[in-house]
Amino acid sequence: MSDKEKEEALSPEQSPVQSSVLDEGPPQVVIEVDDVNFSYVKGKEVLRDISMEINKGEVTAFIGPSGCGKSTLLRCLNRMNDLIPTAEITKGEIRILGTDIYDPEVDVIELRKHVGMVFQKYNPFPKSIYENVAFGLRIQGVNKKSTLDEAVERSLKLAGLWEEVKDRLDSSGLGLSGGQQQRLCIARTIAVQPKIVLMDEPCSALDPISTTIIEELITELKNEFTIVIVTHNMQQATRVSDRTAYFYLGNLIEMDETTKIFNNPSEKETEDYISGRFG
Amino acid sequence: MSSSENKEADGSSAEESGQFRNRGFKILGLSKQDLIRIFFGGNASVAIVVLVLICVFLAREAFMFFPDHHHDLKAYRQSGQEYVDFASDEIKAHTNLYSSLNIAYFAEVNRTAKTEDTILRAYRALMANLENVTAKTWGRFERDLDRLEDVEDDLSDAKEDLEELDPEAEDFAAKQQELNQEIESLSSEQSQLTTRVEELREKLKKEVDLVIDSEEVWNMGVGAEEPPAESKAKLREAVLLSASPEIDDEPEYITGLKAVSKEKKAKAAEELSDFKDTVKAMQASIRPLKSFQSELRSIASKNKSEIVSFSTAAGRKEAWEKGAQNAATEEERQRMAAEAEKVVIKEPDYAALNQPFYESLGKHAELIAPIEVEMAQLYAQIPSKKEVQTKSAKENLDRAAVFYERFENTVSKNREEIKEWRHDKPITVPESVTAFLFGRNWISNSSWHDFYGILPIFTGSFLISIIALTVAVPFAVSAAIYVNQLAPHREQNFIKPAIEFIEAIPSVVLGFFGILVFGETLRAVSQVEWLQWVPGFPMAERLTILNAGLLLAFMAIPTIFTLTEDALNNVPQAFTENSLAMGASKLQTVFRVVVPTAVSGVLAAILLGFGRIIGETMVVLLVAGNKIKIPDFTEGLGVIAQPAHTMTGIIAQELGEVDQGSLHWRALFMVGMVLFCISLLVNFAAQKVLKKLSKI
Ligand SMILES: Nc1ncnc2c1ncn2[C@@H]1O[C@H](COP(=O)(O)OP(=O)(O)OP(=O)(O)O)[C@@H](O)[C@H]1O
Ligand SMILES: [Mg+2]
Repeated sequence: MSDKEKEEALSPEQSPVQSSVLDEGPPQVVIEVDDVNFSYVKGKEVLRDISMEINKGEVTAFIGPSGCGKSTLLRCLNRMNDLIPTAEITKGEIRILGTDIYDPEVDVIELRKHVGMVFQKYNPFPKSIYENVAFGLRIQGVNKKSTLDEAVERSLKLAGLWEEVKDRLDSSGLGLSGGQQQRLCIARTIAVQPKIVLMDEPCSALDPISTTIIEELITELKNEFTIVIVTHNMQQATRVSDRTAYFYLGNLIEMDETTKIFNNPSEKETEDYISGRFG
Repeated sequence: MSSSENKEADGSSAEESGQFRNRGFKILGLSKQDLIRIFFGGNASVAIVVLVLICVFLAREAFMFFPDHHHDLKAYRQSGQEYVDFASDEIKAHTNLYSSLNIAYFAEVNRTAKTEDTILRAYRALMANLENVTAKTWGRFERDLDRLEDVEDDLSDAKEDLEELDPEAEDFAAKQQELNQEIESLSSEQSQLTTRVEELREKLKKEVDLVIDSEEVWNMGVGAEEPPAESKAKLREAVLLSASPEIDDEPEYITGLKAVSKEKKAKAAEELSDFKDTVKAMQASIRPLKSFQSELRSIASKNKSEIVSFSTAAGRKEAWEKGAQNAATEEERQRMAAEAEKVVIKEPDYAALNQPFYESLGKHAELIAPIEVEMAQLYAQIPSKKEVQTKSAKENLDRAAVFYERFENTVSKNREEIKEWRHDKPITVPESVTAFLFGRNWISNSSWHDFYGILPIFTGSFLISIIALTVAVPFAVSAAIYVNQLAPHREQNFIKPAIEFIEAIPSVVLGFFGILVFGETLRAVSQVEWLQWVPGFPMAERLTILNAGLLLAFMAIPTIFTLTEDALNNVPQAFTENSLAMGASKLQTVFRVVVPTAVSGVLAAILLGFGRIIGETMVVLLVAGNKIKIPDFTEGLGVIAQPAHTMTGIIAQELGEVDQGSLHWRALFMVGMVLFCISLLVNFAAQKVLKKLSKI
């Protein structure tokens, strides 16, 4: 991709998402999980018969007790599980934007450029704030100063961090507060303009104020990106998500509109969990 | 909460109830916790105390060097040795020039008989080897042959006796039987010996074949250039001839070769006679200065011993007097007192001592002027580089140019300095320091004057470290990156222990390896024809800066490797995951995230590696060649093919044999001090760099 094209791709006006959300028409499916089984070690399946659809421009929350496989499914979506040699999908298919991502033809690196990820433990690289945000573009071979400047500013603004750091872009990213570091990581992820952003408990290491800031950020970001978020915080799920999926022991028990799940779940287990009877 | 705090908080009530009182045992009012703390704290402070003691001791011994050195330099000047060395320097510069021209000349002459000489060299090597291999068999063969002759003699004697035996004699029968028995035993021994001799002869033949057929021996003798195939066959014949036990003379082929070689060289010498004459004339031109210098030299030597004797006189007198006081017998006491009496403390008359030198000033100028003129004329006559053909000659002509310039410079510099020279000019303190730090000579136990200039050993250490680092760092760091980040598990499990095992090899063993295997191989490789463009090739020495540098690199690799690997390991896995999740490839992740994060650790690893290199003694002592001389930089990069001595090496080698407290002893301590400072400096620089890096 030439720098020119890149610039175009980066400009926010180009994003087609907004309109589709506002339209009353049927939502566009970007992620399809089709009857998937997954195991880390041969013979021990940690995900079973998972099928779900995730819509464009929505925030989808994964909830469920610890160890039920939320992170595992999330990491399947950008193939982070490839790092574990024995891990594999033993059944079914995951399609993102219509492509089977486990097809041998698929370039993982290309996939991850489209499916970004924000981790539970915020982890800026030990580089300057500027370089942290520019990292994704640099590895794609973008080195033009003006393009980078623009992308860095845009991403930091989107992540709500611009005002706080614009005077010290050259100081280390590790010198920020925890909440700022997590927002820096979000800025870093969205700088490459992914279609989908996966977030694995992005607020669990943060104080309530930072959490609120990030929650607001997520609500804003959904205009541009499709977001999947894993959370243990029921209030958070109700606050930020459009749809919620409840997992239990490797099974997807129920997935529906967030309001429905929390007010009127169709499964007994879901109700028990959200009302805090176990988990 | 500790009990004391309790007491402070609510004094009496707690004491009354006794609830919070520490019930553990106490020694001198110290609880168990306190004792444990003191124990560990004590250990830590012992380390610090020892370190401080070492520093103080080292510094005291080292810095005492300078007053002594100052004194020594003064004696050097007052005795006139300094003055004499003006002429010596000129002679030395001249000798360098003349001998490099000489080498060039002979390289040109010998070139013409190269083929013959190569074959002859091979012949000699083969014969030497043959001697080694067959020595034992040969000895037995000769012994058996001698014995066989003896037995045959005895046998014929016995047979004669038997015939001459008088049948009338009364003991005839007994004698006859005796003789028969003897004959029988002798002839059985004879037959045994004969077969043995034959066997040995066979064995010898086999051994000869073995030597001739062994490629190794061929290569060793022949070196880089193979002799042509047909001469190889002839050579084999010649060796076989020389090896056969019956022939003593040199084979004709060899004599012929020798004659041809000699003839060719004579012819070449004829053609190059101008060159030869020039070189000879150069050699002759310096003679007057040489005899002038040697005369003055003996005067200066005498002066020096007088001055030294004066400076030690007081001490000696005191020693005798003390001895006399403590003497066991009266006789002894008197003898010692007499000795003490004999020691006269009288300051020499320096002006008188130096009188001959002041008188010779004019003569020196008179001598050197025509030499300079003549040398200029002669130097103009030597062939240019284009006129010579061998690599060695070309190189030596280059060096001659450098040496000629040096000679000129020395002469003109001396002309000024001699004018200024006074035996009683004081030596300043900075002078005695710079004489150490920038002195170009390290000469100890000399009959003339000891020089303690650190430059030769410093350059040695420096060059060796540079080579070692340039080899070890890329190797070790990239190996660590590969093993830690890119290699599959199976390879990791194999490479890591293998590299770490090197660390366990004792450096003496590595030194052996360096001398026997590495040095030999390196030299053999340097002789390969198509590698001759490499500076310093072919190498004449086996023990060189290069060899030492490479071995040290080998030793530093595990240190750098292990620590770099640790540093890479310490990079949180999360960084890698984040980077990969951003769509970075494995390599991008390694080089843009992991390595930059670990950079301070890598730097620390390199510094520790450097510490290992600069501090290593055994290997450099064994393989650096231990030549105390500033390497000859006129050879350019080829300087690494020369032997050198190092700072650590010289301490290890010389400290054992010097008198405690002597100037030499102190000089060695001073070298230690320099090493110490280098380490400090490197560490300091590293801290600075790290600070700069960590700011980002
Ligand atoms: N690398 C791994 N190797 C083997 N098993 C794993 C690995 N990671 C997770 N598991 C197992 O997979 C199951 C699901 O784990 P996962 O991390 O997806 O749970 P989770 O729902 O994200 O839990 P939490 O809410 O605590 O983060 C668990 O039983 C866990 O023990
Ligand atoms: Mg998880």
